[in-house]
Amino acid sequence: MRSRIAALWLLCALVAMAIAVLALPGRSYSSQDREQPLAGASAQHPAGTDGLGRDRMVRVAAAFLLSLTGAILASAATTLAAAGVGTLSAFGPAMLGRLAMLVCDVFLALPWLFLLMMVRSALPLTTSPAHSAAVSFLVLAALGWPACARAVYRGAQELRNADWMLQARAGGLRGSQIVRHVLPNLKPLLTPQFLICIPAFIIAEANLGALGMGIGEPLPSWGGMLLELDNSAMLLRTAWVYLPIGLLILILLLLEAIAVEV
Amino acid sequence: MMSVGGLLKRFARTLAIVAMVVAGSTVLIRFAPGYLSDAREMDARYGDAARAELAAESARSASLTQMLSTEFGGWTRGDLGVSRQYDVPVAELILPRLAVTGGLLLRAIVYAWTLALCAALVTSAGRNPALLWQTPSALLLAVPTAAMATLCMLSDRGGPVLVMTLLVAARDFKFLDRMLRKAWRDPHLLQARAQGLNPLRLLLAHILPGIASQLLALATLSMVTALSALVPVEVIFSVPGLGQLAWNAAMNRDLPVLLAVTTIMAIAVTVAGMPADRAGEWQGA
Repeated sequence: MRSRIAALWLLCALVAMAIAVLALPGRSYSSQDREQPLAGASAQHPAGTDGLGRDRMVRVAAAFLLSLTGAILASAATTLAAAGVGTLSAFGPAMLGRLAMLVCDVFLALPWLFLLMMVRSALPLTTSPAHSAAVSFLVLAALGWPACARAVYRGAQELRNADWMLQARAGGLRGSQIVRHVLPNLKPLLTPQFLICIPAFIIAEANLGALGMGIGEPLPSWGGMLLELDNSAMLLRTAWVYLPIGLLILILLLLEAIAVEV
Repeated sequence: MMSVGGLLKRFARTLAIVAMVVAGSTVLIRFAPGYLSDAREMDARYGDAARAELAAESARSASLTQMLSTEFGGWTRGDLGVSRQYDVPVAELILPRLAVTGGLLLRAIVYAWTLALCAALVTSAGRNPALLWQTPSALLLAVPTAAMATLCMLSDRGGPVLVMTLLVAARDFKFLDRMLRKAWRDPHLLQARAQGLNPLRLLLAHILPGIASQLLALATLSMVTALSALVPVEVIFSVPGLGQLAWNAAMNRDLPVLLAVTTIMAIAVTVAGMPADRAGEWQGA
């Protein structure tokens, strides 16, 4: 419990630092210093610049906030969808439950990355960076719910067969009243699912970006910055190139620590 | 023991899932907002007449019914369509790469299971979760596959098999450790240990048969993990396998190839999940 609280505080501190970095006047993730491409650390650029002369620290801060916000929203959407599908399947007709689980099996049979690549490659050629970011996380949310829905379905089925629920139904409780009692009881199941999905979505987005199919430039993303590691000229000139990967691992470890103890 | 009826039912369910994957992927591609756009339309060398012909070609392939019948008909005849990018049959592109990817997956999964099982057997017999093993596992799971592969390339150490082995082993270890730790704490095993029975015998005679169904379920999960890591690993290490083919197809909007590879992956996962006693158990693991 103590390590979870420490991880939460550390994550909040990182978020505050990222907001502070972006709030400084004259800092933008897309503004270029054309005099100093591939520069090392300096007073003007504390973590140096990338190949296009853009401040690395600002870009890392923006990528962190963007991916965290996107992952949290996608995870919330996934959890809500899973809660809806799982509860309806468990409390609805048996046929609906079987059909919903078959659909879940279909989604689970598809490795995420292949489906993500398929959807991303079928987007219009003129997709804007903001749209590409929204689509990436939307697709993650759309693909992430089946595993969670299966767990919720199992939990909701147990609740449906619980003595107090049988009594409540026999006593004539309406569907809406039943749901009001079911959802709080599913909270211990939904909260970990929500927390587990956040780091999973961040990693998926980073992998997609590293393959050149994630968030479009000039918007910063973890995957886009990991591509810098392929540039040997950049690696020889400054060690700050490793900042994004180091920070990404730290953030994922913190998120895992928060999720694991729920 | 599963009856013939049960086996047939499971087989029918697998077939239904594969059919739904093909249908779902086709529908997904057809209704994707960029399905009718072609990269060649942005090429300045194409004149208006050529662009009109491209648009007409796109319109001809816009019927969903036609697409579905072509896909299903093709799959039943073994014809996976023609690659837009290379203008050759998709089957010709896939077949030589299947062996490369299969070999890579098999080696990675076997090594990963050996590593994870040995580590879990050592740690689960202890009193408390061993940080020595769990920290590297947590760290490995926090590194995106693409970053791990790039770092291996940069340090000139390890290759595709090592990256995939580490990733699958880290995930498997997490579950195996928990599974074995729980099994060792069963009252009858605690009593047997207190009476001085050989731990190896207990493991072989009681623990492993008891968790066999969960192990099968975990094997399916290993397959999914390995397949998810396949694309970044093959792309970064330039392995001429299915992952690299899928990435090339995605970058060049070669949807017939991408659809075929995705379906093959779905078949692999579904078939790998068949031996598990309960189809959904691997998700619960």
